[in-house]
Amino acid sequence: MNPSSERIVFTGSGIVCGSGATVSEVWARIESGESSIDKFRWERGRVRRYDWDSSNWPCGIAAEVKEDNRTLVPDRKLHKTISRKDMYGIYASEQAIKGSGVLTCRETMTDASRNSFNDRTGLIVGSGGANYHDDYDFLPLIHEAKGDLTGFGRELSNQVTPMWLLRNLPNNVLCHVGIQWQLKGTNACITNQCASSPMAVAESASAIINGEADRFVAVGHDSVLEPEHMLYYETLGLLSREIPKPFDASRSGTVFGEGGGAIILEKQSDAVERGAEVIGEFLGFGSTCEATGTVELNPTGEGLRRAIEEALENAGLVPSDVGMICAHGNGTKASDLTEGLAIESVFGGNIPPVTAFKWAYGHLIGAAGIVDLIMTLESLKRGIVPGVSSFSEVDSQLADFPVGRTHTKLEGDVALVICRAFGGLNVVLAVRGARR
Amino acid sequence: MNGEGKRRIAVTGIGLVTPVGNDRESTWSALQKGKSGGAQIENFDATGFSTTIGAEVKDFDRENAGPCRKLLKGASRAHAYALAAAEEALKDAGIAPNESDSHRWGLAVGAGMMSVDYDDLKVVEDYATEEGQFCPDRLLSDDFPADPINFCRWQSNAGLTVLAKAFGIRGYATSVHTACASGGQAIGSALKALRRGQCDKVLAGGFDSMLNPIGISGFCLLGALSTDNDNPTGASRPFDETRNGFLLGEGAGFLVLEDWSNATDRGATIYAELGGDGNSLSCYRITDSPPDGDGPIQAIEQALKDAGITAEDIDYVNAHGTSTQMNDRSECAAIRKVFESRIDEVNVSSTKSCMGHLIAAAGAVEAAVCCLAIRDSVAPVNANLQHRDPECDVNLVVNESKSVKIRAALSNSLGFGGSNSSLVFLNPERGEK
Repeated sequence: MNPSSERIVFTGSGIVCGSGATVSEVWARIESGESSIDKFRWERGRVRRYDWDSSNWPCGIAAEVKEDNRTLVPDRKLHKTISRKDMYGIYASEQAIKGSGVLTCRETMTDASRNSFNDRTGLIVGSGGANYHDDYDFLPLIHEAKGDLTGFGRELSNQVTPMWLLRNLPNNVLCHVGIQWQLKGTNACITNQCASSPMAVAESASAIINGEADRFVAVGHDSVLEPEHMLYYETLGLLSREIPKPFDASRSGTVFGEGGGAIILEKQSDAVERGAEVIGEFLGFGSTCEATGTVELNPTGEGLRRAIEEALENAGLVPSDVGMICAHGNGTKASDLTEGLAIESVFGGNIPPVTAFKWAYGHLIGAAGIVDLIMTLESLKRGIVPGVSSFSEVDSQLADFPVGRTHTKLEGDVALVICRAFGGLNVVLAVRGARR
Repeated sequence: MNGEGKRRIAVTGIGLVTPVGNDRESTWSALQKGKSGGAQIENFDATGFSTTIGAEVKDFDRENAGPCRKLLKGASRAHAYALAAAEEALKDAGIAPNESDSHRWGLAVGAGMMSVDYDDLKVVEDYATEEGQFCPDRLLSDDFPADPINFCRWQSNAGLTVLAKAFGIRGYATSVHTACASGGQAIGSALKALRRGQCDKVLAGGFDSMLNPIGISGFCLLGALSTDNDNPTGASRPFDETRNGFLLGEGAGFLVLEDWSNATDRGATIYAELGGDGNSLSCYRITDSPPDGDGPIQAIEQALKDAGITAEDIDYVNAHGTSTQMNDRSECAAIRKVFESRIDEVNVSSTKSCMGHLIAAAGAVEAAVCCLAIRDSVAPVNANLQHRDPECDVNLVVNESKSVKIRAALSNSLGFGGSNSSLVFLNPERGEK
């Protein structure tokens, strides 16, 4: 439990994904049961670097971000030194920072006060790993050198941009959001695959509690939307040919999304003092590993059960306090079943309504947890547990599991957000919604 | 608990795989002698590149790395180093996760760069391009040798996954990547998780290997590497006026961290107390640290404060010291600012002068060096220094390593992207007075 009496609140958020580029836009599509998953077609040009028509691909659907690079990051100089998925993080951060007004007070500060304010403002980013297609910059060179490494080395600087390494640094969003907003305090770039971004939120809150910083921008961004990634996920049997159906008897896999999310964390007393709108409260988190390897999962959900219990204990909650669960619900056979079993083992016969958002905007991988958190806070604010529009019949091994097609009324104001990743990683956040 | 009510954390195990030695003691012995790990690159044909030298791990017994041969299938070159170093650290500590406490064990790693291997890229070129232009649909051909194991090995948390499975760690687990600051930040994350009671023991460290055609290409394109191809052992010369870039290294370093009273109760040998962590973002330029040391200064000051000590207590600084002009000058400006009047007393060296730059592993390996320096009362030499850069006016350990009682040591790591990490290690005898 939080040892200091200081409560940690969320005061602003930003989002971009296939379903939209503002929180209200994404919420509206969720509320109307509309998924942004579809076939897509890339054309070589400013945004995409090769032609790709997904209709030729067996599982060729995704929730693609539609916004142009210039909409996401107006500073065009930056486009040469970052990748498109970095733009999602930079865009979401700007929305969250501006929306929260958390940096506004700097404008009237003396230099000394501003420096110390910046040193006490942290930034933690959950990032994806590398993308295969970033390395395709080397393909023309490999072709020309005909597989000869000596020739490859000699011609390197004539064929490949000097910016190649910088464009592909995993910590680019950390660097550029930091420079843009002068956030100079505690920082990290977390690369825990699908569990990256909830860990960014949890580590930010922990650092405020620990007294390292007074406020944080927590960010997640990712895109695995590229041919090779899609091929390997499909080879592993993880991709669906239709909109994912979390916990459904006929579910057949997940679908890629892409995007970014950002959220501002600060002390409640600071938020009250500056008259900020509070959109939620961080209560606690749990983090566990199943030690099972990349894609295998503990068949009983034991690792996730421990993470849920740890989050409840850390937040000072009992299971009956929870009004809603935002599940990972990626739509794959093994993950959903073990997730359901873990939830059942903690909540017994009194499971609160469960929802999951991947039917709406796909699986955002490194950004999934933080975008789910933002939509969970929106659900809490509106007192609605959104239905899963692709759902029809629950998995027979999860009888009476409370997930459904239609929206249900929320009881209480506390939610759990569950996030799972390759490697058997589980992160669970416990949050309270803003009072309605 | 220490004076400020923080849980005290002991370092009870160390494991290393570096360009100067494949275990802890051989690495430490080479560093004390100032022996360089630089040589012509052997792992691949580097003769066409502007830099043909590197600090490779030599004669590494991959087949016996880690506790389980089967896991090596999913392990990259850097992951194998990590398995070997982590195994050595756990054996050294004399503890390992078991059925009853594995959920109280944490794992925090600084994970290396994640570019695809040249050979895998060559396969894409062979099967899925036309005149070097990528044609996605060709990947769907039955001939394309899609290998899901390659895919797993290449995930951002693949190293974490392999280590967790190898040693059965089931608690808090995290992988951080802040380029050259990764290893230091991972150890900092571990310290915080231990202090907030989320775990009782943590395996913490870093691993990296960019000594492959794609990895070295990135640095060659930026012009960041030394091109002293005829002088591999002298190429890394931090703080020397004639330096011209860093020497790319590879390897892994791991520490076993545990609750202090747990360590003393079981009679463990304690190398040092992990006293404090400091962490800042320079917000200046992606590849450079600011000339006035702004950023690194805050990280060092925070680490000292976190450890409950002052600049007066530090006897050794293991500098980031990459052997690039911008880094070396910025770091020296920071050290001068923090240590002020004690600048002539505080021993400073960069062991990158011997090992080269281990990138994401650097901070972890150098944290281990600080612990060994405390154990043996030795400040290791800053090798290859002949013409000191006048802008780097700090008390460098030159010519040979120096015998000196070290009450506390500081390890700095400054990363591409602007992340700065400082760690403070305290002499274990210090607290027992």
